[in-house]
Amino acid sequence: MNVSVVGAATTKFGELWGVSPRTLAHEAVEGALADADIAKSNVQALFVANMLAGPLGGQQHLGPFFAEELGLPVPAMTIEGACASGGLAVHAAVNSIRSGQYDTVVVLGVEKMTDHKPEDVATALMGAGSNEERLAGATFPGLYAILARAHMEKFGTTFEELATVAVKNHFHASLNTNAQFHNTLTVEDVMKSSKIADPLTLLECSPISDGASAVVLTKNHKGIRIIASEVATDTIGLAQRESLLEFEATKEAARRAYQKAGVTSKEIDVAEVHDCFTIAEILAMEDLGFFPKGKAAAVIVRGETTLGKTKKLVVNPSGGLKGCGHPVGATGVKQIVEIVQQLRGTAGKRQVAKARIGLAHNVGGSGATAVVHILKNI
Amino acid sequence: MIGIVSYGSYIPRYRIKLSDIAAAWKKIPEEVVESLGIAEKSVPGIDEDAVTIAIEAARNAFESSALNPESIEALFVGSESHPYAVNPTSTIVGELLGIGNNYLAADLEFACKAGTAGIQAIAGLIEAKHIHYGLAIGADTAQSKPHDALEYTSAAAGVAYILGSNYLIANLLAYTSYSSDTPDFWRRDGIRYPSHAGRFTGEPAYFAHVMGASQLLMKKAKIHPSDVAYCVFHMPNGKFPREVAKRLGFTKEQLAPSLTVSAIGNPYSASSMLGLAAVLDIAKPGEKIFMVSYGSGAGSDAFLWEVTEEIVNMQRLKGKGKSLVQNQIQEKTYVDYVQYLKQTHKL
Amino acid sequence: MISPVKIWRNQKKIASLVGKTGKIVAFTLIRVPPADFSNQAPYPVVVIELTDGKRITAQLVDWDESNLKMGQKVQTIIRKIFETGDGVIPYGIKAKPL
Repeated sequence: MNVSVVGAATTKFGELWGVSPRTLAHEAVEGALADADIAKSNVQALFVANMLAGPLGGQQHLGPFFAEELGLPVPAMTIEGACASGGLAVHAAVNSIRSGQYDTVVVLGVEKMTDHKPEDVATALMGAGSNEERLAGATFPGLYAILARAHMEKFGTTFEELATVAVKNHFHASLNTNAQFHNTLTVEDVMKSSKIADPLTLLECSPISDGASAVVLTKNHKGIRIIASEVATDTIGLAQRESLLEFEATKEAARRAYQKAGVTSKEIDVAEVHDCFTIAEILAMEDLGFFPKGKAAAVIVRGETTLGKTKKLVVNPSGGLKGCGHPVGATGVKQIVEIVQQLRGTAGKRQVAKARIGLAHNVGGSGATAVVHILKNI
Repeated sequence: MIGIVSYGSYIPRYRIKLSDIAAAWKKIPEEVVESLGIAEKSVPGIDEDAVTIAIEAARNAFESSALNPESIEALFVGSESHPYAVNPTSTIVGELLGIGNNYLAADLEFACKAGTAGIQAIAGLIEAKHIHYGLAIGADTAQSKPHDALEYTSAAAGVAYILGSNYLIANLLAYTSYSSDTPDFWRRDGIRYPSHAGRFTGEPAYFAHVMGASQLLMKKAKIHPSDVAYCVFHMPNGKFPREVAKRLGFTKEQLAPSLTVSAIGNPYSASSMLGLAAVLDIAKPGEKIFMVSYGSGAGSDAFLWEVTEEIVNMQRLKGKGKSLVQNQIQEKTYVDYVQYLKQTHKL
Repeated sequence: MISPVKIWRNQKKIASLVGKTGKIVAFTLIRVPPADFSNQAPYPVVVIELTDGKRITAQLVDWDESNLKMGQKVQTIIRKIFETGDGVIPYGIKAKPL
């Protein structure tokens, strides 16, 4: 059974004060259905990706909540995997079609984070870490700062190299009308921004955002096909990992995805990877097999993954989590939307020339969950 | 015979100079330091309290001994700053020390003599052969109101004594206690900082009770100051213990090794217990130690200790290491007045 | 507030981790803390490898700049995790430089 993405849409990401989760869901889902030219009555299931509606908003049970709101009286459920919720929901949706249970389903990733104080959001996000990390007073910037420090000590990765990731992704975001940020940055801007958790600064951290994205998946269709959908897990806390220099979950999910898809990392033309912090993109480049361990930072600095500067793999043309924004539950779905637009050739100013095979990489927590999707324009 | 099996102390590493406190309130620093006889005092970390300090002191006591924590059958923690008004410090400490469940736990409160009252109570239990080993701890993160006189002296520390009837490093030859209703220093429930009655805390309070208990002990044990090698008194400041030692007939040399107050201030329930620990670090077999605590409200517990041959092994074990009181005094990091206010939860 | 029952259940874990020595294998300095830790920042969070090979994540206390390095020797101690107003006090494992 083949699964294709026939509809894809995203709202703008950002501080959307006046916009409610319901409104975001309408915009994303109705946009995706219109893009697919499919009527609501043909949708057979709804998968919702979200992490924080419960802890911050007091509302869970989002399956029936959005099914009702959207006028989709179908089997509906919420999938949660911290920041990998979106990718996991797509994975669940893909499996539901491959199993023959459903023919056409909608995946909605939605998150509303700006209603709450940053300290409360930071605390809620630590639900994705281990209890030991919470009791140590760690934050997500802190956990990724630990990974950055380890990478710097082992491979000599520099502050400037880390900062370049943010510069690249802001440049890409400046070409994306739906991105949260449209300002471009210099390495100096990034390094001089306020320190959050040494060595990471404010501009190296993805923002707190609102937004929603949706895709419509159906069986046996031409167009953009999902040729791999793989998930891997690792320990929830960093202290229990085998290594602090890589995400084994990313490596494992990628390995299986390349194998099932019958492609190698060299054949990927465009990738949306999980750059929740600058170091995360460097780790992703290495763990997804695009560049050797310890070497990705220099490649990024040379512009070899930047739109317009390279004839090879472009990474995070949407602006990534850093530039486009990171409404947690929506990100994994937005990544699929971006890859679909790239493979269709409708990405406008962000278009990667002749993109035929794309990869989306979505991570939960500090690497406890990794989801890798590979898509191909059939 | 009952006495001390092992002991351990803990002083939080932070210090504030009294001259810095004085400067904050525009007092003349030299005058303050001179009148109190104290240069600096210990300050607890923002995450330290009587529980965490008691645990550190007790762990040090166990480290200098082969005793299994599960041998402890009574654990009394004396403090003027128990973290809860209702909920025992002693069971939290007992649990985290791995003492098990077969023990009597009690929290004691009596200003600065809560810890020594515990020693006497446990001594009784051991003498009655009701228990074999007991743990008496005095631990405090003493609170004082900013700009009040007590701000210059209220400090933090903890000392733990494992008491038993075997393998003693010091025998408890005799003990007495002298008590009366003397309201020199108090804190009402629900009120944040203690109050004191000014000069009333001197003659009718500290001196009357320390002298009273000392005279009772000298009579009971039939000894004179010249019979002992060292004396230890509760140290609310640098002046009172020197004055009371003089009045009782002790010499400066007998008192000097115990005077931890000049370097770390007054850690309330741990004060005289810390003075005793400093003396035990250097005492020789056969030497006697005369020790009297004082708690406002008021009372004094007096003890006559005699150091045994076992002390030689203990001192060899401790060597010149971190468990020696003088080394703990020297392990320090200075904080300024603002940081002091943060760490003592006033800001 | 952390549930008193959870605190009670975790005590055995805490008691078995105190007094252990280890070294820092990763570290950061948290400058923007979560709500419960607001009065403690800035503070280091470190990953420690204990001498028995086990790794834990903990806050580093009684530190100065010179302690924030790979390989710094540390010991585990018990401290208050954070203030809880009128709730049960959570005590837990932190580390201090040796």
